[in-house]
Amino acid sequence: MKKTILISYLFLVAFAGSLYATEVNIFSARHYDSDVQLYEKFTAKTGIKVNIVSGKSGALEKRIIEEGADSQADLYITADAGRLGAFEAHLQGGLTSATIKSAVPSNFRTSKWTGIAKRARIVYFSPERVSGAELAGLTYESLADPKWKGRLVIRASNNIYNQSLVASLIKNNGKGKTADWSKGMVSNMARSPKGNDRAQILAVAAGEADIAVANTYYLALMLSGKKGPEQQAAAKKVKPFFPNQDGRGTHMNISGAGLVKGAPNKANAIKLVEFLLSEEAQNHIVNNTFEYPMIKGVSPHPLVVNMGLDFKQDLKTKVVNYGKRQADALEVMTAAGWK
Amino acid sequence: MTKYNIWFFGSLIVAAVVAMPIVTVFFSFFNETSNYFYILKETFLLDYIFNSITILLFVIFFTFILGIFSAYFVSFYDFPLSNFFSWALILSFAVPGYIYAFSIIAFFENYGTAFSLLTFLFGENNYNPVIPKIDGLIGAIISISFSLFPYVYVLTRASFYYQSNNYIEVGKNLGLSSKETFLRIVLPSARPAIIAGLALVSMECLSDFGTVSFFSVNTLTTGIYNSWLSFDDLNTANQISFILLIFILLLFSIEIYSRQEAKYHQPGRGFKSITKIKLNGKKSIIPVAICSLIFLLSFIFPVSQMIYWTVKFPKYIQDIDIFKINLNTLILVGLASALIVIISLFINYGSRISKSKILNYLTTFSISGYAIPGVILAVAFITFFSNLSDFFTHNFNFKSSKSLFIGSIFGLLLAYFIRFFSLSFNGIKSSYEKINNSIDESAYLLGYSKINTFLKIHIPYLSTNIILIILLISLEVIKELPMTMILRPFNFETFATQAYIYASQDLLEAAALPSLFLIFWSTILILLSSRYILSKKN
Repeated sequence: MKKTILISYLFLVAFAGSLYATEVNIFSARHYDSDVQLYEKFTAKTGIKVNIVSGKSGALEKRIIEEGADSQADLYITADAGRLGAFEAHLQGGLTSATIKSAVPSNFRTSKWTGIAKRARIVYFSPERVSGAELAGLTYESLADPKWKGRLVIRASNNIYNQSLVASLIKNNGKGKTADWSKGMVSNMARSPKGNDRAQILAVAAGEADIAVANTYYLALMLSGKKGPEQQAAAKKVKPFFPNQDGRGTHMNISGAGLVKGAPNKANAIKLVEFLLSEEAQNHIVNNTFEYPMIKGVSPHPLVVNMGLDFKQDLKTKVVNYGKRQADALEVMTAAGWK
Repeated sequence: MTKYNIWFFGSLIVAAVVAMPIVTVFFSFFNETSNYFYILKETFLLDYIFNSITILLFVIFFTFILGIFSAYFVSFYDFPLSNFFSWALILSFAVPGYIYAFSIIAFFENYGTAFSLLTFLFGENNYNPVIPKIDGLIGAIISISFSLFPYVYVLTRASFYYQSNNYIEVGKNLGLSSKETFLRIVLPSARPAIIAGLALVSMECLSDFGTVSFFSVNTLTTGIYNSWLSFDDLNTANQISFILLIFILLLFSIEIYSRQEAKYHQPGRGFKSITKIKLNGKKSIIPVAICSLIFLLSFIFPVSQMIYWTVKFPKYIQDIDIFKINLNTLILVGLASALIVIISLFINYGSRISKSKILNYLTTFSISGYAIPGVILAVAFITFFSNLSDFFTHNFNFKSSKSLFIGSIFGLLLAYFIRFFSLSFNGIKSSYEKINNSIDESAYLLGYSKINTFLKIHIPYLSTNIILIILLISLEVIKELPMTMILRPFNFETFATQAYIYASQDLLEAAALPSLFLIFWSTILILLSSRYILSKKN
């Protein structure tokens, strides 16, 4: 008998989530504990319970698609505009409130999805082995220059950050030129692509390469000591460089949220997005993830400020292109033998 | 004459459910695919097959070496700690390949644990260039080998045990040295057991998902997953699955065949157990060193890496809701093992009292679930239930039943059932067959009802075996990654999914605590079941 009671109790606990009257369901490919704290704040404020399924973006997208009209998903949160763009057919319009429009510049949103925080994909270099003269006027395009032969590290072509970067190059320079560029990149690589962005920066610190391509928040993360004293020390051996300053500016990307088609709690989902764009939430995000804030009036984390804020962002290339050119990007990289 | 009674329909339903993924995969093989399959055939498919086979061959080689050596020393020699090693060497079963993979990266990466260790020992310097970078294909091979070699160890050891001393004495009488006796008599007669062990290793190796995807090595298994995810192409996924399944079914038949062979090698009359050779002093150095090395590398290395991280980054002890994950695991383990064991008992009992041949065929057919990799099972599961639901919605205006199966505890349990049913069914069957039918008849004569015969005579007899099966299912469920990952409900993490998600978000240090818990519970389950696994009876 006791067992029956215990089991029914366990059942109740397991399904308690669905007993809430007002809720919002998130499929999140951006699984930071700090995001969970943020959702808790939202629940405390509005009484709306936030349910989360986290996972890799591909699997989450697939589940939303397979579940079709029955999907419980309201919001899809991910760390790349390319993902949101490619998933657009399964999103719906509705993120058009005045709050959202006034908070987010138009190149970082559509009616179906919007940026929540920004990051830049930049170059890291070893000041010991790379001179200022060598770096002067550096662009993404010139990374394919033979002078970097055997000196560059960047992660694999299946990585979405790279796909979005290459998509923006295709948008600006055309597919043919970008195909040649990819070949140049591959011949410059110091090693076959492996590891994540942080591993690329560490490779420069360790002397495996002279320059690396990686997102901005990784350096700040290591400098903060959250990854341990060894990586903190290693991060100090590497300096950031913001490419394309004389032209269109540095490649920007977003963490963003998309409104899922058939979302059962659409209104709550919009409320949550508006909350994420509030000053309170933005402060929380930038101080935990080291991203750039989406809205004006919020300062990034001091370590990010130290990396420099007065760089020119590429606001000309709309992030919606990252999704549109994704297949082309993957194609040119694969054809170039970019692993 | 087959009776169409409750036992028949019960078995039929179970067989149908368990066979569902194979049937789904088989039928979609003839469906049209998108262009992707052609692109894939041109470019990547060979790569996938090459990687799968490379990993497979090396893993077979390493597990063979590790398993045979350790089993040999522990079975034939008595040396310091040999009793300890006899069970300690199974512990690496508790460390899934993907967790071993996390430890490898953590240890060997630039500024990783090896770097800290060298800095601590020899002062500050840039040690990064001298630390080998173990990654990719090599990393996957090492991780999978260490997590799977106990299969070979356990089965070989059992077989060595049965090769009573008689064989060895025959060898001596023929004037063979002990090395020759081992190579020419002992090893060949353990062959069926070794092959059975290697076949299990191969099946698990081919279906591995977590390890290879963490190291970004494309194999047939990750190929299935990618074509399904990135290209929205279930048919291609199922077609690659088909290729993979052919491999696996082949191995599966080898395994079954070897088991049958093994029966002929059971000891007959005049069985004498092995007299172990006592090794002391210098002579014991080699076996102690080899067994210690295997134990250190296979178990202590990943565990200490995880402990080191948990201590170094204590923040995550607070951040992770460890209580809830324990509870979730308990729910899954409890419900899954209850469901699977009860149904196995039901089917076995039915098969026994109705004495129908057809039931036997149906139930043998249903063991195919275990041969299918978790990823394929999950993909086929979703395909099948969304098609089924759509069929009923379109033709009969039924309400959609997708959410009942996809993203629910129920669906997850059903998937576990499909995968682990054969483990439980066959385990119970093997000991059920040892209860003589005349016992049932005597019980009826004594006035026992059928139910009472079952509860008061069968169950007590089967109980040891049932406990062992519950332990093994629990172990599998705790370590299970791909199905849980794809099918789990909202706000629901297990140690495996939590660790894997952290790891894929570049938070390996946060993955340490859930990994440690996973290893902890698995270790306890292994220690509890090792009594049975290593017992003389097996």
